Amino acid sequence: MTTRREFLTVTLAGGAAAALAPGRAAAAPKSMSVVHESSFIKSFDDFFVKKLAPDYEKMTGIKINYEPVSVGSMLTRLTTIVETKSGPEIVHTGINWPHLFDQGLVDVSDVAGEIGKKLGGWHDNVHDAVVVNKKWKSLPWGNIGQLENYRTDWFKEVGVNKFPDTWEDLLAAGRLLKKKGHPFGFELGHGFGDNHGWLYPLLWSYGGQETDKSGKTVTIDSDETAKAVDFCRRFYKETMFEDVLGWTDVNNNKAFLGEQISCTNNASSILVVAKRDFPEIGKVTDHALNPQGPKGRFHLLNVQGHAIAAHAPDVAAAKAFLRWLYDDKQLSAWLTAGDAYYAPFLRAYDNHPMWEQEPRNLPYKESLKTSRLHAWPGPPGLAASESVAKYVIVDMFAKACRGDSTKDVIATAASQLKQIHKVK
Amino acid sequence: MSVRPAPLARPAPVAGRPLSLRGLLEREGAFSWIMLAPGVLFLLAFVAYPFFYGIYLSLQDRPVARAGVFVGLANFATLLGEGVFWQVTRNTFVYTLVTTVLKLVGGLAMALVINQSFRARNLVRAVLLLPFIVPTILSTIAWMWIFDPTFSVINWALVKTCLVSTGFSWLGNATLAMVSIIVVNTWRGIPFYGITLLAGLQTISPDLYEAAAIDGASATQRFWHVTLPIIKPILIIVTMFSVIFTFADFQIVYALTHGGPANATQVFVTYAFDLGMSGGQLGMGAAAALTLLPALALVIVVLALYLRRE
Repeated sequence: MTTRREFLTVTLAGGAAAALAPGRAAAAPKSMSVVHESSFIKSFDDFFVKKLAPDYEKMTGIKINYEPVSVGSMLTRLTTIVETKSGPEIVHTGINWPHLFDQGLVDVSDVAGEIGKKLGGWHDNVHDAVVVNKKWKSLPWGNIGQLENYRTDWFKEVGVNKFPDTWEDLLAAGRLLKKKGHPFGFELGHGFGDNHGWLYPLLWSYGGQETDKSGKTVTIDSDETAKAVDFCRRFYKETMFEDVLGWTDVNNNKAFLGEQISCTNNASSILVVAKRDFPEIGKVTDHALNPQGPKGRFHLLNVQGHAIAAHAPDVAAAKAFLRWLYDDKQLSAWLTAGDAYYAPFLRAYDNHPMWEQEPRNLPYKESLKTSRLHAWPGPPGLAASESVAKYVIVDMFAKACRGDSTKDVIATAASQLKQIHKVK
Repeated sequence: MSVRPAPLARPAPVAGRPLSLRGLLEREGAFSWIMLAPGVLFLLAFVAYPFFYGIYLSLQDRPVARAGVFVGLANFATLLGEGVFWQVTRNTFVYTLVTTVLKLVGGLAMALVINQSFRARNLVRAVLLLPFIVPTILSTIAWMWIFDPTFSVINWALVKTCLVSTGFSWLGNATLAMVSIIVVNTWRGIPFYGITLLAGLQTISPDLYEAAAIDGASATQRFWHVTLPIIKPILIIVTMFSVIFTFADFQIVYALTHGGPANATQVFVTYAFDLGMSGGQLGMGAAAALTLLPALALVIVVLALYLRRE
């Protein structure tokens, strides 16, 4: 028979445990919500809604609500979720957002470790994007690469049978193509992705960079940057037309599919849409890595992942869902449904069958090795986001293309970066 | 000897009896406050609170998802030291002033025309209101196609009529991009002026026009000496509202150019949004948004004083 002392001890211990771990003490949640930026690949979203969410509900009784957000709006949605500490508990992250929202996101190192162990480990460069102060703040499912999309038939018409390997060779091809009425169209306006997608890699490939590794010294004012700016001005004048200065992310897709341009920098969505809606264009569209410059070849890192918001009522349940979602059985099928639009960072997927469905997407896998975050080699925190939001690098190049002097545009960018990084 | 007006008869509450709801409603002061309460509460929740919270944020170094640190006016000082900020200021004033003048002239002309009697007048009135009725973001997307280099109907018409050999870069050229957003804002805003001024025009007694005509006043003279003086107060109020709306216009600029090319169309609200929402600098974003305040306050005070004098 239990004595009064034993009963009190057990009750108090149980109460204390419940108080310390409210998530576990409560019953499993009836539902959880996941907020996602709508995918350019409809089947990717559909697979989640029609297969993954119902499967999980059948297995656990927990309903998974899927909240899609329009393309380009996820950062705003994430800001409101984290700031108001309300809304979906599982959130979509991209680029450097785990650094930006660090304190509003849960440490998921344990889940990342388990997934990595099961699926061959993570690619090294993904750590830069999602590991903040040695803690994983997001679980990456793939990278949206920004590569060269071009018309094979028109390139062949001017005698270019293989996509040029260097920026100078691409410029030479572009000159010929523009003369033939097939200009290039690389975004130089205030979009959210297709501008940064080629301008940062161009800058790096000539040796230019915003800051040093510490972020304490602004290094944009250099001969290397000047060479990149001078090249960009020639590239614009000799291969493109004025509209690109005002383009946002939809314009280059429309221009490519409207057969106005022969080459642009984009994700693989152009090919996906071309194959579906413009099959004749789809047949003559291909992808290539960004050309290399004197200092190498670079691409922009755009890591897509899932994080758990700090306000999640049941962190353990959210982790359990992500553990299940990133299990090979689910993740592999989901990525396949995504038409290889997302290049996974798990080594076990380096030779995933999804890459065989459309070999023209293989450069997106290959680009992972040379992909860097916007602020590279500087730290990927708040200052990096402010620089991107102010279009410092994009406008530096755009103003040069418009006709401003190299010296002036670099001086303006340097002054902006010094203010952003709070250095003199 | 001065005579004070007799106070309005008001039933005094009976001593010792609790005031009933009916009694409360019959008291003019209490009833006024009850009627005002929903509006006041709404304004407090959705205007006053965000406004004062915005001021609070603007005085902090407040990165997203982190606690803020009070920095006084440092955010404003930083903004004032930025070249882009002054470009944004210039753009905002050009955008607001030019569109306001165009909307004023266009709206007045529209009101004068639709105030006349002609066949299908009601249909024309309804059609002219469409730009104001259609959600801004939808009509702006339609304008995106109109200005699109590949599909632009304007460029197509200009080239087909041999007026130009190649189309214009409406959103790629810095000057044309500003012209484009001004055109869209004017197109959207004219019906607001038109319909409001039409209401003013309809209050003018026909006797006044008849009397002026008998005195030999021409149509122009009737406009300057009868119409304009009577609708002037409405004209001022509608202009005041329009200036405020245009200063704070977000959707047209954000959807058409997102402030590009190279900040040529960046205005206060889009810049504040980029700083706060994309850059994660909530304090700086709030400060950028609040820099509108002195200019708007000045407009309101000047116009309010003018109205009072009138």
